[in-house]
Amino acid sequence: MGNIFVKKPKITEVDRAILSLKTQRRKLAQYQEQLEAVIEAEKQAARDLIREKRKDRALIALKKKKTQEELLKKVDAWLINVEQQLADIELASKQKAVFDSLKAGSDAMKAIQNEISLEDVQKLMDDSAEAKAYQEEMNAILGDRLSAEDEEEVLAEFENLETEITLQSMPTVPAQSVPSAQETKRTPEVQPEAESQAQCEEEELLNLPDVPSGAPVLSDGAAEDISTGPPKKTNVLEEPLPA
Amino acid sequence: MQRLGNFKLPQFFNFPPFFTLQPVKETREKQVQLWKQLLLDYCRSQKIFVIGLEEDFPLFSNPVIERSLSHEAREVFLSALISEGHAEWMDKDRRKCLMLWLRLQEWADYILNFVKDNGLQDGVMTIEEMRSGTETHGTELAGIDRGLLLRVLRLLEQKGKATIFKGTSADDDGVKFSV
Repeated sequence: MGNIFVKKPKITEVDRAILSLKTQRRKLAQYQEQLEAVIEAEKQAARDLIREKRKDRALIALKKKKTQEELLKKVDAWLINVEQQLADIELASKQKAVFDSLKAGSDAMKAIQNEISLEDVQKLMDDSAEAKAYQEEMNAILGDRLSAEDEEEVLAEFENLETEITLQSMPTVPAQSVPSAQETKRTPEVQPEAESQAQCEEEELLNLPDVPSGAPVLSDGAAEDISTGPPKKTNVLEEPLPA
Repeated sequence: MQRLGNFKLPQFFNFPPFFTLQPVKETREKQVQLWKQLLLDYCRSQKIFVIGLEEDFPLFSNPVIERSLSHEAREVFLSALISEGHAEWMDKDRRKCLMLWLRLQEWADYILNFVKDNGLQDGVMTIEEMRSGTETHGTELAGIDRGLLLRVLRLLEQKGKATIFKGTSADDDGVKFSV
């Protein structure tokens, strides 16, 4: 197969460094295993020598074991060092990758910004302002003709609407004023009876406009009006007493 | 049920005709099929990469029924595997056979997936690390035959997915992936 054109990943110095660190790590791990085996062997030898009552030899074996253990501790430290450096390299290459992508992003932004110059933008804005002004002028010319004819009509419609709205809003006035009158009545807790009576009269006065709305016709409806009238009065009079 | 280590042997392993090459074509095809599967399953579970034809191999004889495979039969079954790409002769004399329960291409894909799953794109690993390191522990790669691993990596190298390179130490090479 034509592999000449296949792009192989390039080996950098960093890769070589990682390789040698990883190899070192493996070798140290192997060395540790070897040391552990030796330590175990010395321990066993010491045990056997103690059984055979050869104290001197046993002590020597234990001393050897001790030195091997010291060595093992050192190897542990090296191993951690190697691991640390591997992690540092990895972190540094990640940082570089992040930096590269940020740089690429900023370059791209610059390239896009270079495509539009500030003068062009200014010119564009001026052009559109001009176009807008032109449009407004044209509107004014066309608008003049229209407003001259329709001015009166518009005013007439406005007045119509205004009166309509005022008429609509009128009936709502008494309905709002009644509760407000009751509230003002409640706020002073102890009131002279004369004042409350005056207020009652006020209420009566306020109630009065309702009556003429119904046409005065002598019929059952009128009879009802009369019958309902007096009780209302007594109700109104009774209300302030408990307060 | 007979067992070989932690491997559960199939029922037919105690069936004496299983160890004799069958003369009838259809039965032999069935027999070859069963042997192929058994060999692959066993090697995969025990991580055995090389079978020596002349050597003792647990599957080639069954002491319980006092049967063992003839040399011819061994060659027939292994040849059947070789024709499917699931094995390879390692020498001209056909005495050693490399078992490929994953074909070379499947191994290559397996490694690529491993690389992707572990975020090793653009990463560097050593050959030994792939065989015995903590990273591959528990995967199919753990304990892989070194020669086989190198061949699979060269296959990846041809496709531009990896580069094998020498380090300062002579006994271990590095491989850089670029997936």
